[in-house]
Amino acid sequence: MSVDQQGLLAKLVRELVRLPGIGQKSAQRLAFHLLKAEREDAMRLAEAIQAVKDGLSFCRQCRNIAEGELCEFCRDPKRDRSKILVIEEPSTLYAIERAGGYRGLYHVLLGVLSPLDGVGPSDIRAEELLDRVKAGGVEEVIVATNPTIEGEATAIYLTRLLKPHHVRVTRIAYGIPVGMDIEYADEVTLVKSIEGRRDL
Amino acid sequence: MPLVKTAAIVLHSRKWGDADRIVTFYTMRLGKLRGVARGARRLKSRLGGMIEPFTLCQLDLFEKPGDSLYRISQVALDEPFAKFRDDLTLMTAAGRMVNLVSAVMAEGDPEPRVFEMLESGLRTLLESRDAAWTTLLFQIRLLGMTGFRPQTEQCATCGQVHRSPLPQFSPMAGGIVCERCASRQPFRCTALSRGSVAFLHQALHMQPALLNRLHAAGQVRTEVESAIESYVTVVAGRRLPPVDFLTSGSPV
Repeated sequence: MSVDQQGLLAKLVRELVRLPGIGQKSAQRLAFHLLKAEREDAMRLAEAIQAVKDGLSFCRQCRNIAEGELCEFCRDPKRDRSKILVIEEPSTLYAIERAGGYRGLYHVLLGVLSPLDGVGPSDIRAEELLDRVKAGGVEEVIVATNPTIEGEATAIYLTRLLKPHHVRVTRIAYGIPVGMDIEYADEVTLVKSIEGRRDL
Repeated sequence: MPLVKTAAIVLHSRKWGDADRIVTFYTMRLGKLRGVARGARRLKSRLGGMIEPFTLCQLDLFEKPGDSLYRISQVALDEPFAKFRDDLTLMTAAGRMVNLVSAVMAEGDPEPRVFEMLESGLRTLLESRDAAWTTLLFQIRLLGMTGFRPQTEQCATCGQVHRSPLPQFSPMAGGIVCERCASRQPFRCTALSRGSVAFLHQALHMQPALLNRLHAAGQVRTEVESAIESYVTVVAGRRLPPVDFLTSGSPV
């Protein structure tokens, strides 16, 4: 059955289809699920969405998701303020935090340069990063964009942008995942891991 | 679901869903096609590094009836063109080459000569000392081969053999136009010197192997670059990121 007529349910389906990864069929399934669910359950979802939109914004300093002006990491006085780790999206930040081991600050670009799609420096938060470096106190910027063409373009651009300001710019390492057999690694990763070898 | 094996060059790759990628290839056997690489963004996937733009590879694909997307089952690396990843100038120049191929070639219309030209263009770029120039010659050659050859011998609108001392290039008409037709063009034409017209004519008719010996500087280069840029925008239907996209202006 297709919900293609005008009406409240069709309106809900149209809104759900706009979400990433949700097609027409999935949207219809979700809409019917919400229709059949208890009123309290559906309202809890609506309230959660409203609370996120009302209460969350981007951190004034690092552009991470924040409740208030600054995010939890920028507010934390125990974080190492001499290091900034640059990432493409906030979701990466939480993956790094889950791993532990990094105690510095972050900078979220909210995008990535793309020489193929015409996404340029004005479309990402690079100038804000430069302002933070210029403000002083930063000794190292770690570029942790994805190892894709777009991520590499961004890393090279940021290096050229920041180097004249006497800050150490580093790139996260490429290599074989821990616990993996080297023989199953793809050729590109293998070459990169040999190029990026380090002394023991 | 027949299996297809073909040599391919990656034109574009974009994220799809949680961990997949939709990749546009130009292939030797099937021309331009799009395929989905399931799980390519996951750590355990062997596909991720092989389906980055500019990569030359051997593809194993499955065609699914009723679906315009192929399923990418296996990729073997031939040439990663890794140098493009370390140099913004080369990266944007290679980006312009694959973008133009993607713009002028329709899906499912194989043209092995275009595949060979793209491969040779990328290889030439690796050794090039002037990436913008190599890319300009590639664009002129590709336009000439794919049915978009700019008209240089007669007026592209009325067909009259032109003898004007100040030829005009009309991107909408697709070449040189006479003075009378130029005044009727809805969009502005670019004035070309006789030297620029001669250069363009030579570049379009020269044997591909000798093309890289062609050189131009100063006014001729500026005029030809401007004319081809405006013509490519008309042919592609949109402005493609220019060769100096990430390297022009401050601070890079």
